[in-house]
Amino acid sequence: MNIVRSVQAGTMQSSDLMVFVQPAAEISIDIESTVKKQFEHLIRAKVVEVLQRCQVQGAHIRITDRGALDYAIEARVETALRRAAMEG
Amino acid sequence: MVVELITRRDLDEARDLLAACELDFDPDYDNLLGIYDGQRLAAVGGRAGYLLKMIAIAEQDRNGTLLDELLTELIRLGCQAGYDSFAVVTKPTNIPAFSSYNFNLLAQHPQAVLMEYGGGLHHYLHDHRHLVREGHNGAVVVNCNPFTWGHRYLIETAASQVDWLYVFVVREDRSVFPFDVRYRLVKDGVADLDNVLLLDSSHYAISALTFPTYFLRDVDIRAEVQMTLDLELFATRLAPFFNISKRFFGTEPYCRTTRNYSAMMAELLPQWGIEGIEITRRQVDEEVISAYRVRQAMRREAYEEVRRLVPPTTLDYLLSAEGEPLRKKLQNFTGRH
Repeated sequence: MNIVRSVQAGTMQSSDLMVFVQPAAEISIDIESTVKKQFEHLIRAKVVEVLQRCQVQGAHIRITDRGALDYAIEARVETALRRAAMEG
Repeated sequence: MVVELITRRDLDEARDLLAACELDFDPDYDNLLGIYDGQRLAAVGGRAGYLLKMIAIAEQDRNGTLLDELLTELIRLGCQAGYDSFAVVTKPTNIPAFSSYNFNLLAQHPQAVLMEYGGGLHHYLHDHRHLVREGHNGAVVVNCNPFTWGHRYLIETAASQVDWLYVFVVREDRSVFPFDVRYRLVKDGVADLDNVLLLDSSHYAISALTFPTYFLRDVDIRAEVQMTLDLELFATRLAPFFNISKRFFGTEPYCRTTRNYSAMMAELLPQWGIEGIEITRRQVDEEVISAYRVRQAMRREAYEEVRRLVPPTTLDYLLSAEGEPLRKKLQNFTGRH
């Protein structure tokens, strides 16, 4: 998947997250979370998993999380990537 | 459902809700959103560029998800407008609420705090890390609307007293000369000073975020609060990153807001280990040089006077074909900035 534009997905609701995707030469992932201390590594692992599955080579991913569960993270990240890869 | 507040009735309701929450209506916004409960406005929130403002939820609705919905929509619209980070100036009692939405505290005053969402400051510093220099460095924050011999003198004098001088050019476009022109004229005007580093102040020094009253021109408690937040942000976030221990500013004979700001720099900065140093302004024809004076002279088409106030680099631009639209704009412009 080729990231061609800046997009956003998700909401600011509790148990949800906002995902921001921007085109970039390499992969970089910034995570802000209300449960960052406990779960940052798990959120990151999930984001990396989706990036690999979607075969994204370069993108700047920013997450602000309010305690989302892993399937919500997966869905929001994939939605954002698909939007960011859409042509036109 | 979150809706755009547009009609006179919407705006009156917004005014009332804000007043009930001890906030003022501020007509300077890009989006103003609200959530109705039947006929009653239950929540309001606005966005002006990167700044979220006028956020208020009716007292009986504060346990629900209205703020979630409001922030989601404000940020979605802000992203569409090209912003990827957002800030809010709010009461200290709201720190926990905004923290729970991943806003980080940037500066605080007993009456107001500055919080940011999206890591904008972090990215700003990261993007400028190639400008970090060891040593005892100084800083000036300048608008340069446009660049004059006065600015040149301030920068040259300051640069001679430090290892490296950072010149932060105010990003905010509320002046006659747009940012890219102001920046370029500063760059050309100090090109021969080899210990001067130029950068864009972004939202983090004298912007609508840290310093709205600079542009509003009124002096009251709010101004003092904003100046404190601005200086704390500078002193605790920008200065340590760039090893800045001195901040320079010129004597201000005309503008009361700027003069108060200078006085506060001298008073507040030392608590963070930064020296505030005032430099006496340069004069031409027994009157200090100011960008305002240049703009007035331009308006009168008194180019001989302009020539004495600005370096050749600025003069060339002012008289160039490229400067033509600005000359026209100046002739019709009556504002102070």
